[in-house]
Amino acid sequence: MTEYTADEMMTVTAARALRDGMTCFVGIGLPSAAANLARARHAPNLVLIYESGTIGAKPDTLPLSIGDGILALTADAVVSVPEIFNYWLQPGRIDVGFLGAAQVDRFGNINTTVIGPDYDQPKVRLPGAGGAPEIAASCREVIIVLRQRERTFVDSVDFITSVGFGAGPGSRQRLGLGGAGPQKIITDLGVLQPSPHTAEFVLTGVYPGVLVSDVQRQTGWDLQVSAELAEIPAPLPEELAALRALQAASAEGTEA
Amino acid sequence: MTAEVLTPDQVAASLDSGMTIGIGGWGSRRKPMALVRAILRSPLTDLTLVSYGGPDVGLLVAAAKVRKVICGFVSLDSIPLEPHFRQARQAGSIELTELDEGMFHWGLLAAAHRLPFLPMRAGLGSDVLAINPELRTVRSPYRDAEEFVAVPALRLDAALIHMNRADARGNGQYLGPDPYFDDLFCLAAAGRRFMSCERIVPTDQLLAEGPPQSLLINRSMTDAVVQAPHGAHFTSCAPDYDRDEAFQAQYASAAADPESWAQFRGRYLDVDEAGYQRAVAQFGRDLAAASR
Repeated sequence: MTEYTADEMMTVTAARALRDGMTCFVGIGLPSAAANLARARHAPNLVLIYESGTIGAKPDTLPLSIGDGILALTADAVVSVPEIFNYWLQPGRIDVGFLGAAQVDRFGNINTTVIGPDYDQPKVRLPGAGGAPEIAASCREVIIVLRQRERTFVDSVDFITSVGFGAGPGSRQRLGLGGAGPQKIITDLGVLQPSPHTAEFVLTGVYPGVLVSDVQRQTGWDLQVSAELAEIPAPLPEELAALRALQAASAEGTEA
Repeated sequence: MTAEVLTPDQVAASLDSGMTIGIGGWGSRRKPMALVRAILRSPLTDLTLVSYGGPDVGLLVAAAKVRKVICGFVSLDSIPLEPHFRQARQAGSIELTELDEGMFHWGLLAAAHRLPFLPMRAGLGSDVLAINPELRTVRSPYRDAEEFVAVPALRLDAALIHMNRADARGNGQYLGPDPYFDDLFCLAAAGRRFMSCERIVPTDQLLAEGPPQSLLINRSMTDAVVQAPHGAHFTSCAPDYDRDEAFQAQYASAAADPESWAQFRGRYLDVDEAGYQRAVAQFGRDLAAASR
């Protein structure tokens, strides 16, 4: 069997979550790698939307930033950033949005703003909201991708930057947030999904060789396990080859 | 109304301490850096900055010119968080009103339209409302009765932007892939709207390099023009030049340590604009020599 890293497993799992023909709001880094892997494999008609205004971008190397020229050059259309926010995001025209996080809580609320209890003198200042609150509010669904550690999967986030299920069932409806909210948290250990009854994220899948107790040890709340817990298949050799080819082509582009 | 043609230092001299100043561009892209550097050399202080922040905010914060930042983010793009901004917040030395990018846009648009606020959904349920008690919500008066964040107008006392080309009358043109929100910064300002540019050209030459829709700024939106070649350095000013990533990396590493920062300041900032551009050219030559 081919060797692979935990990050490769996470990226492949994120790629598998995308269906052909979806419109997908993509950030730079792992989400971009996953979306382009999906496009190279099972979802050639995936419509990638980057915040800089590119719709239907088809990069053959991974962009370094949302302003990377490869995105605009390969796009079906390039529109302004306000149009992305006000025409594409807010009315709910985008199927799925990928978000990263510094912290996430049991209800999928995301913190990318500060670490520590004092907002005005935080232990660590983070980059902040960017466009994530719009994505979290209005994409039809959200997929959160981050490595699972006890300090990142916390009982209560230090700051709610982007709303998941708020305080639990019914919060999104009360707030008037149109999208369905986060439907998956994909980590380097497995996959968590919200319970339809409690809106709390529970473990629904683990990667080969990962124990449920490993995942629970890396979670800051009392992580429940789904009755239908699945083992997620290891990356296929074709998936790994496609991902590594994408990353190699991108590294070559960076050095050129 | 016809704009004046000024130098960066004359622009700084036209501003007052305590003002709320909007700065165009986005992150580390097409920032009016020559104008920012002129403010660094000026006695101005106690400023409130309104910006999709990049090194403009970082430099002014590092020079203790800033009381408060209102922003969507403060980033160097290829470096996610501006290092001076991070330090200042972790030390608790500046005030901050952080909106997300969409709210920030709505605030500029409200000011440009001279409306007190515009309604939006994003932000509801987030701690942005908890830490900014001045942010209020508003209920739709129609049958839906939906509740929204009432994003307040971001009114500006002055605006600074950088364009690729301009004429001496105050018309401005961008030639890159993105207008950012530079038109809104000018429209949101009550007056003192300053546009620097790579090159001032005759009005009848404005369409030589780009189509009519690249004329983002018209002369009703500006009060003065500054010719500042390489004036966005080290941020990008496509297609005239890309971001100077090597210089930005040096800036960020210097920011990490007081002694290196003092050296950086002495070499690049305690000099006039021509001195800055000479030092940057020397940096480029040293880099090329080192890689040979």
